[in-house]
Amino acid sequence: MKKLRENPLLLSAVIAIVALVASFWLLNNPRSTLPFLLTLGALLAALLQPIPKWLKVLIGGAILLLVIPAAGFKNSFLFELGIQTGIYAAMALGLNVVVGLAGLLDLGYAAFFAVGAYTWAIFGSPQANEFMPWKIFPLPGEYFYLFMLIAVVVAAITGVVIGSPALRLKGDYLAIVTLGLGEVVRVLANNLDQPINFTNGPQGITPIQRPPIDWFIALLEKFGLQLSRAEAYPLFFYLLVLVIIGIVTLVNIRLDRSRFGRAWIAIREDETAARAMGIPLFPTKLLAFATGASFSGAMGALFAAKQLYVSPESFTLIQSIMILVMVILGGMGSIPGAILGAATVTILNVDLLKSASDYLNDLRNAGFTLDLGFFKYNFANLPNQLEPAKYERMVFGLIMILMMIYRPEGIIPERRHVLEMKEES
Amino acid sequence: MLEILIQLLPSVLLEGLILGFVYAMIALGYTMVYGVLELINFAHSEIFMAGAVAGAETFILLKGVIANPFLLLALALLIGGTVAAVVAILVERLAYRPLRKRGTTNRLVPLITAIGVSFFLQDLVRLIEGLWHNAFYRRYPSFAVFEATYNLPNWIGVITIALTVWVGFWVLAYFGDWLLRRFKNRAPAKGRTLSLVAAGLTLVFLFLYRHVVFADLGMTIQMKSILVIVVSLAMLYGLNWLVHKTKLGIAIRAVAQDAQTASLMGIDPDVIVSRTFLIGGFLGGVAGVLFGLLYTLVHPYVGFIPGIKAFTAAVLGGIGNITGAAVGGLVLGMLEMLGGTYLTFLTNGAMGTEYKDILAFMILIFILLFRPQGIIGQQLGEKV
Amino acid sequence: MSEAPILEVENVTKTFGGLVAVNDVSLKIPRRMIFAVIGPNGAGKTTFFNLITGIYKPDKGRILFDGEEITGKDPAWIAARGMARTFQNIRLFGSMTAVENVMVARHVHTKTSYADALLHTPRYHREEKKALERSMELLEYMQLSHRAHELAKNLPYGEQRRLEIARALALEPKLLLLDEPAAGMNPQETEDLQKRIVGIRDDLGVTILLIEHDMQLVMSISERIAVLDYGKKILEGTPEEVQNDPRVIEAYLGRGAAEGASS
Ligand SMILES: Nc1ncnc2c1ncn2[C@@H]1O[C@H](COP(=O)(O)OP(=O)(O)OP(=O)(O)O)[C@@H](O)[C@H]1O
Ligand SMILES: [Mg+2]
Repeated sequence: MKKLRENPLLLSAVIAIVALVASFWLLNNPRSTLPFLLTLGALLAALLQPIPKWLKVLIGGAILLLVIPAAGFKNSFLFELGIQTGIYAAMALGLNVVVGLAGLLDLGYAAFFAVGAYTWAIFGSPQANEFMPWKIFPLPGEYFYLFMLIAVVVAAITGVVIGSPALRLKGDYLAIVTLGLGEVVRVLANNLDQPINFTNGPQGITPIQRPPIDWFIALLEKFGLQLSRAEAYPLFFYLLVLVIIGIVTLVNIRLDRSRFGRAWIAIREDETAARAMGIPLFPTKLLAFATGASFSGAMGALFAAKQLYVSPESFTLIQSIMILVMVILGGMGSIPGAILGAATVTILNVDLLKSASDYLNDLRNAGFTLDLGFFKYNFANLPNQLEPAKYERMVFGLIMILMMIYRPEGIIPERRHVLEMKEES
Repeated sequence: MLEILIQLLPSVLLEGLILGFVYAMIALGYTMVYGVLELINFAHSEIFMAGAVAGAETFILLKGVIANPFLLLALALLIGGTVAAVVAILVERLAYRPLRKRGTTNRLVPLITAIGVSFFLQDLVRLIEGLWHNAFYRRYPSFAVFEATYNLPNWIGVITIALTVWVGFWVLAYFGDWLLRRFKNRAPAKGRTLSLVAAGLTLVFLFLYRHVVFADLGMTIQMKSILVIVVSLAMLYGLNWLVHKTKLGIAIRAVAQDAQTASLMGIDPDVIVSRTFLIGGFLGGVAGVLFGLLYTLVHPYVGFIPGIKAFTAAVLGGIGNITGAAVGGLVLGMLEMLGGTYLTFLTNGAMGTEYKDILAFMILIFILLFRPQGIIGQQLGEKV
Repeated sequence: MSEAPILEVENVTKTFGGLVAVNDVSLKIPRRMIFAVIGPNGAGKTTFFNLITGIYKPDKGRILFDGEEITGKDPAWIAARGMARTFQNIRLFGSMTAVENVMVARHVHTKTSYADALLHTPRYHREEKKALERSMELLEYMQLSHRAHELAKNLPYGEQRRLEIARALALEPKLLLLDEPAAGMNPQETEDLQKRIVGIRDDLGVTILLIEHDMQLVMSISERIAVLDYGKKILEGTPEEVQNDPRVIEAYLGRGAAEGASS
């Protein structure tokens, strides 16, 4: 291991070979989990290890733009996984600003996701006809992009509204107050179907318009790819999510390396000292809170378009906790950490736990008997309460506890960038 | 309309009081742990839940064996409290103590751990219950004796209304004082004597009026509610004795004030922290059983809402303050019942019971913003 | 105008519960002076600093900084007006590098807007470069250049104390408050520090208010000294006056010692 690190050439070669092998394996077995994980591992290693930049771009580009889409056509679940990972990664990056950089424990983060999702869901579906004087809804899909921006603004405003009381409080209280306010938003979504029907209550809103992709299909045709609309949408959303992740990461890095990022970390490290150095506490916290909220809002709008359906069910406390777990797992304050955390938790949650459940179910249905000589067990007797997929709270809880006890800095700890005097301006 | 509202008032307050006792006992657990560790023990709501579930199991298992419901209840309380206390101690040992030993500077670390423990415990109980019964919802059996209803004499209701008027005026007067002091820098007015006069007048008026209109305020109470009040009072009294009259209580207060000095005096803070979790956990478990008795259905996720509300109660009373937690619990219980009933009533059902939960959060935020030290308790700044 | 005192404290009192930590203290600090506050442990010196910098609000009294009333104002607001401080128990931003620590204090002097930071406008680059250069200069000035990119928490104790001063200077203060800057330093380091403090005043024209237990240092660099005991100011004067006053010895060593010294 150490030898590898000291020898960049060898390291590059190893990573390139692993990436190549993993890719071929995945393309031949698009339905199994292991090659997929290995491919992601190679991608991650390429991005994080000290190898030449061109190689990073090459491996990253090939895996993200060629291998995964190609495998995705054989197994569309990969697209679903990719899109979900992307949405959560963007949200984790947003929460990373709040929790990781500014040190504000926000337990109601899903509220902003809900705000963004409802922003598009209400106007991108007939729902708005219920309370608007003009019966012109749903707005056509082209408006989606505009509404994504509007969702950013609305979520940021919600962040300011929620943050204004919450951020004046001492640290510990913030957690419980945001937890409460997150619930408030969900309860409102659930109950604002009367007296005026804004949200359609527990039934949720459907169908929601998607951005039109005729141009995209035409574009693919130029590359010799004939796709139906149903086939093209997953690819489209997958690529859209990649673009958004790129933007969000860039925003994150730029904020981190500006006076705002430094102010946030200063507040996280020592509020009193930060104030004594001229950092106004409340506005700085509010800025972090609203920034995080806006990321979440944008992804909410995207989520609504992708799902075609939103309901209060999708914005519960467990969602907020899941994103928090992503940040904690990856490493608070660490940008690659947030992305890695999002990928790990999403794959764990939507793939591994479900696979484990299916596997146990199969064993149970087949009446499989485990015989170890001294120990015999017939899986037909397995209680059907034993479904790993339903125990996400336990998994998240364990991750939080174990990380805090054994590795509070996360898998990829935050690393301060070495500031250099640059000559260009 | 107004008449109905007034007629309802005593019954609603009584309901609130009963709920308030449950909140008070949970709030004590939050407050005591906060006192010694300055940690919001998010897992306390699950300690409460463990008590509630253990109580349900006791009832269900022993129903056929022991015929006397009161004896059954006593056993359920004991077992519920003990299970909760054991869970609390284990949580402290396995999750919080390692953090303290490592001496982390990041104040998010213990908080996140506490949240993790909370979630872990929910599903752990679900798993155990699921494997055991193949279902994780449990129901408290009902007993005719517990459901029996008793009428309360009318004068209790009348006095309750007068008291409410008094408190209402008092709060208004207090708020007025506060506004004056805050914005005009003026000395307090004499609003509070006025409130007494108003209450007296109301009392007289109601005594005369009730013979005409309020034939019957119809206040009733169920046996199980009486039991909740009796058990809670006994527990609160016991705790008060424990904290103020025993060596352990003195040690707990010493650690809460200054752990370092206390340890110089030969007190082992670890032992005291552990005992604090034991006491808080036991109270929470007993509260869980009483909660189950009142609302019958319990499950692994039942702790969340009462937990947040009890925390609100602890803040309301002044976190770290034991009397405050009890008072805060009672006040919150009553406020919530009032809000819940009248909000639904006044909006013709448009604002349903779910808004009741929001009310508690609003109170929490309001208190934290304007009186973070709570009803009782004084403010101390951070030492720099 | 510039002859008016930089800081005027009038009858300031602060109590914690029953304890009167600062009791009716008044002070005037002329510009460009090195002024020391001394007193035994628990006398209320640090509390006095916290009152001036706005971290605590006084129960009574008024504080004027540069002719402007700052009583009860937000610490960040006061700092932005040109008052910087260090802390008795070092309070650096541990997981930032040394130079970043200094740059934090450039926050109010950096004119980058949020949009600038996101879009990397020319102004962002210009301001960022300026902040970095100025911070590096200050590190150089406090002889910490070699540590610029190390995490603050990994620096040795004496260097952490110097880094705190560098950070405070980045605010471009008119008044610098140093709370026991020599605590935990060896004689060599203390001597360097002493020169540095005088240098800061001479080079940068900053007024310095100093809390220090090292009497050698206090007596050799301060022009005026105030003595606090049990929250009260018992004396103010030149180093000679203070040195020879029996009340000071009494405050430090207790009544008996003072009598012994005078007989
Ligand atoms: N936030 C606070 N809450 C309660 N008491 C406090 C607080 N801050 C300071 N005190 C008390 O006020 C008194 C004065 O403390 P202060 O730190 O100002 O003394 P000092 O003169 O700086 O002492 P030292 O030389 O040890 O630094 C002490 O008794 C201290 O315990
Ligand atoms: Mg001091």
